[in-house]
Amino acid sequence: MENIIVVQDVSKSFGKKTVLDHIDLIVPRGCVFGLMGKNGAGKTTLIKSLLGLVKPTAGRIDLLGENPWTLSDRAKEQIGYTPQSDQLYSWLTVGQLLNYTASFYRNWNSKLVDKLLNDWDVDPQDRVGLLSEGQMQKVAIILALGHEPQLLIFDEPVASLDPMARRQFLKTILEIVSDRDCTIFFSSHITPDLERVTDQVAILNKGKVDFTGGLDVLKDTVKRLRIDAANTLPADLNIAGSLSCEINERTAIITVREFNDALIHDLTNRLQAKITVENLNLEEIFLELNA
Amino acid sequence: MQKKPKYYFQINPSSGVPVYRQVMDQVKTQIALDHLPRGSFLPSVRQMSKDLEINPMTVSKAYSLLEKDGIVEHVRGQGMKITQGPLAQKFLNVSHESIGPLLSEVITKSKQLSLTVSHLHKLIDDAWDKEN
Repeated sequence: MENIIVVQDVSKSFGKKTVLDHIDLIVPRGCVFGLMGKNGAGKTTLIKSLLGLVKPTAGRIDLLGENPWTLSDRAKEQIGYTPQSDQLYSWLTVGQLLNYTASFYRNWNSKLVDKLLNDWDVDPQDRVGLLSEGQMQKVAIILALGHEPQLLIFDEPVASLDPMARRQFLKTILEIVSDRDCTIFFSSHITPDLERVTDQVAILNKGKVDFTGGLDVLKDTVKRLRIDAANTLPADLNIAGSLSCEINERTAIITVREFNDALIHDLTNRLQAKITVENLNLEEIFLELNA
Repeated sequence: MQKKPKYYFQINPSSGVPVYRQVMDQVKTQIALDHLPRGSFLPSVRQMSKDLEINPMTVSKAYSLLEKDGIVEHVRGQGMKITQGPLAQKFLNVSHESIGPLLSEVITKSKQLSLTVSHLHKLIDDAWDKEN
């Protein structure tokens, strides 16, 4: 199986509201995939559809080669999932909760779990109901890692973690993908984290996929150009795929989403201008695409 | 055992330059400056990914592109071996070029703060001394 998740033309509506609008997405095996999108863009609905927790109105999803709506136990055993906010049994201690969860799996790795508790500074004696939101999130993530699944899906895993814990989470992710065959899919708003660990990204915008593919490809194609022309520039520069354009007499700043050398060549000649290309980081790209 | 080469890598994932390109540029620079001599080996993908805390796929991509450029060769069971000698001028050009955009950022900021060029020189000198 080359692709762990394949989403084909998936739509989901709740009543009259369309939340996912003809989504196509591929998650190759062994990648770290980052899902981005503004609040309300449809990230959580997409994640729930992938897992068979929400039934799409139309389209088709393959998860580990199966239909998520009728997932076999064998496939479920290969998936670890942390929802955005988890309802954990508040009356148990962390240790009891872990033991309880472990009893559902044939291949629970207690050694790994103990290591994570230690690395992440979580005390197994603590009562779940008294944990801070951040500590709770750590426990929820550890619960998803214990059976060493082939596929990990996290919905906003780092949202309530402090910078140290976030860094620890990213380190753990990298260790997992270096050490064994595992695919990781997570949503996040924290672009520096995504830039550090992901190699594939998708940007959701109002239920549609605005971009999906390699993070490198995204960074290589979305660029900001500074144009210094000899003469006053026309009001419309007529550039295919421009995201934003600010013209001020003889200078202009434009952001394009299909950067290539031919474009520079064309603009240099057509506008008699000097063109400087600026790289954009993921946050800037995200803002431009959502502008 | 190969002697552990002396190299300094620094990655800024949020710089806008794709991370694989940063890795490639820095390997080239390290070779040009003979910190990675001919015949020595690059750290393993796993090690590099761990040290820099970046995705191993990204490191793999950088390595295979370096191999395609003929700068390293894959030796079975041993890793990526440097095939180029030091101070190949073309690599140094690459690394000098990479300073340009950083400098222009510094210069713009300095102008915004109305710093004089001599003041900027002094700041650079001080920072330089601090690093050494």
